[in-house]
This record gives sequence, C-alpha cells and structure tokens, in this order.
Amino acid sequence: MPPMRSRSLLLVLAGGLLLGAPARGEDLLLATTTSVRDTGLLDALLPRFEQESGQKVKVLAVGSGAALRMGADGNADVLVTHAPEGEQVLVREKRVLSREPFMENHFVIAGPPGDPAGVAKAPSAIEALRRIAAAKAPWVSRGDDSGTHQREQALLRAAGVDPAKPWPGFVSTGSGMGQTLLVAGEKQAYVLSDIGTFLAFRERTGLAPLSKPDESLLNVYSVLVVKPVGQAFAAFLLDPRTQREIGDFGRDRYGEALFRPLHLPAPGTSAEPAPGVRTGD
Amino acid sequence: MLEITLRTLAVCGVALAVALAAGLPLGIALGRRSFPGRGVLVSLVNSGMGAPPVVVGLAVSMLLFRNGPLGFLGLLYTPEAMVAAQVLIALPLVVGITLAAVGALDENWELEVRTLGIPQWLRLWLLLREIRLGLLAAVIAALGSILSEVGAVQAVGGNLAGETRVLTTSILMYTQMGRFEMALALGAVLVGLTLVLAAALTVVQQGGRR
Repeated sequence: MPPMRSRSLLLVLAGGLLLGAPARGEDLLLATTTSVRDTGLLDALLPRFEQESGQKVKVLAVGSGAALRMGADGNADVLVTHAPEGEQVLVREKRVLSREPFMENHFVIAGPPGDPAGVAKAPSAIEALRRIAAAKAPWVSRGDDSGTHQREQALLRAAGVDPAKPWPGFVSTGSGMGQTLLVAGEKQAYVLSDIGTFLAFRERTGLAPLSKPDESLLNVYSVLVVKPVGQAFAAFLLDPRTQREIGDFGRDRYGEALFRPLHLPAPGTSAEPAPGVRTGD
Repeated sequence: MLEITLRTLAVCGVALAVALAAGLPLGIALGRRSFPGRGVLVSLVNSGMGAPPVVVGLAVSMLLFRNGPLGFLGLLYTPEAMVAAQVLIALPLVVGITLAAVGALDENWELEVRTLGIPQWLRLWLLLREIRLGLLAAVIAALGSILSEVGAVQAVGGNLAGETRVLTTSILMYTQMGRFEMALALGAVLVGLTLVLAAALTVVQQGGRR
C-alpha cells in the first residue's frame, strides 16, 4: 500500500478507537446541606455510586437556602436539602425536574446536661422554646438560612418570639451545623440541630439531647434533580440497597441509626419500582 | 455593616499595635547583636513568616477549647482570642522584616555613632530613623496580613453576629450563603480600607526620602 494511504488509515483507526471507547460519565455537582455532609453519610454512600455510575460527584455543602438558590439558578445538577417549603417553591416554578423525599429524622433541641430551662420536661418543642426564651437561656443559632435555621425560625414564631428580636444570650454563627454545635458546646448553650449531626458531634460538645421527637420537629430530606445528568444520583438514593444502607448508617458508631429511609421495600416484596418523575408531593 | 467594620478596625488595630510593640524591639535586638543561638532564632522567625495562618488558628483554638490547657480562661469565640491569633501571625513578619532592615545597615554606622559620643537613647532614635523605610515595610506587611486574615479569625472567633463577626468572616459567610451582593459590598469596604491605610503608610514611608 502507498505510504500516504496507510498513514490516513491509521488515523481513521485511532479516531475510531477513541470515539468508540466507553464514554466516561459526566461529573455531577451536588449541592447539599452541611448536616448531610457532617454526619459522614455522603462519604459512606458516594464511593459506590461513583463506581457504579462512572460519574464523579462534586459535593458543595452549603445551607439548604443556598443550595435551593443554586438549583434555581441552574448552578447545580442535583440537590439534597431539608427545607420542604423552599423545595415546594422550586417545584411550583418548574425549576427542578423532580423532587423526591427519601429519608427523614428529627430535629432535636440540645443543651447543657443540667438543663436550667427545663426543656426535657416540656410537653412540646414549642413549649420548650417558650421556656428557654423566658429564662433568657443562652442559645446558639445557625443564622444561615439553612433548613435547620428555617425550622428554628418557624418554631420561635410559634413560641411567640420575634426572630428578629430574640432574647439576650441568643447568638448567631452564620455557619454550618457542626461549627454551630461546637460553639454551643463551648458556651454550654441550647441549640436546635438535626439528630444526625448532633450525634456525630455529641462527644465533642458535651451537650445532651433534651427534646422529645414531636411532629413539629420532623425533618424530611429530599433529592431534587435540576438537570438530567442528576437523574442517576436520585435513582441511586431511592434504590433499595441504598435505602437499607441509609437505615443502618450510624448504628454501629452511635448505637442508633441517624436517618430513617422512606422507600424501604417491605420485607418479602420485590424491589421497589424505579421512581418516576414526580413534581409534587 | 458599620458595626462589622468598626469591630474589624478595633480588633485589627489592637493586634497591629501589640505585634509592633513586641516585634520591633525584638527585631532590632536580633538584628544588632550576635549571640549563640541567634541563627536558630532567625530561622524560627523566618519559618514563622511562612507559617500557614489557618494552622495558627487551629493551634490557638485547641489551646482555648473548654477542655484544653487554657480553657479555664473562657476566651474561645471572643474578640480577645482573635487579637491573639492575629498577633501570633503578624509577629514573625514584624520581627523578620525589622531584623533584615537592621542587618542592612552599614556596619561602620554603629561605630561612627559611638565615637561621636552620642548618648544611648539618642543612638536608638538615630537607628530608628536610619531603618525607617524597613520599619514601615514591616508595619505595612503586618497590617496587610492582619486585615486579610480569614481562616484563623473564623476558627478562634466563630463569626458570632454582634460579637466576633468581622469583614473577612462576613464575606466568607455571605459567599457560602450565596448572597453575593452582600459579600461584594463588604469586600469593597475591606479593599477600600486596606487601600486607604496602605496609602497613608506609604506616604509616611516615602515622605521622608530626600
């Protein structure tokens, strides 16, 4: 064969090989809350997802408020947040392709083991806050527009406290859950936290969980798909094996699971059908 | 915003004052005399200049934690802790630059001044005048590092609203919250502050040149 033709043939072959090679999954930008990151749940789940999907996940842990804003602006591919009101807004405005609650736990009002304000004896979370405010007990707030912060504001309003003019002793960190817990631990103050991060930081803070889980403290986490590249991750979170792993997460370390999965298949039934695209709840 | 700016000026001002008060004499002493172990000390100072500020913040936090060795002081998440961390970061800079300025002096200068029979205190004053340019460089460098410090200040201060929130920690916070307009506004204030202060110091530094 004349030299020219064999060279071009080689080029065509090389090009064909490159194009025909298995496409590597695209990178995924996941915007989530600090409470999900600080518990270590993502560190436990992501390796298997990355291996199975071929996608590399970039995790940005910001407050739910910031994550939802990122989703609305199209700056993230998928969100994991726990601020149902804000999430519903995105769904209504059709800024996300889907929203699927996939796990839950409770918020907890934690505080100094001595419990000077008597939170442990309060019949409800709202009453507990009323007592804390009345006692002007030290309180540390996230103050960062996160899901936890939003719930705290709602509870304060229900307890008759104007969140803009709280009592003296109320401080705001503007930071994530872990950092806020550390400050509360230093000051031996009361604080609202998701149970997961609280347990993960319990030893470091020396604070005690004081409130009883009631309806007003229910904390639901949802995965919101912003761009199609995020569908695989949402499906992964809802997959039976992942749901089981979520249900076991933390048990060996803290004696109790940090999260309750919402899509566990009932024992004896077949695997969960693939989640469809849901835009409402 | 005004409250945060005023607190920034207060905390940084105190930190600068302490770093200069401690660092200038130390730098001059290290620069002038030679004694056994001087080389080691100078190496320490130079390493200190390159030390990552956030590690300083970590070390100070660990000292001040409730269960830490200095926990009884209850100084974590207070402005005092922030000043302490910033002093530790700026001190090596002040000492290092000052001792370099002193080291650049003509070695006969000291000899000449002494033979002229000038009293000790006046000799010190003349020394300061001779190394004026280097001294001001030390001040400007320290000011810059103190004003721009984020990590250490966040670690030991906690960015508590109304108590330990300063310009740098606020900018970081608003950026992470996605509230970029606030972050930019505070950033403009910080840059403006730095420019004005540095310009003023530069005028003083260069104004003395003949």
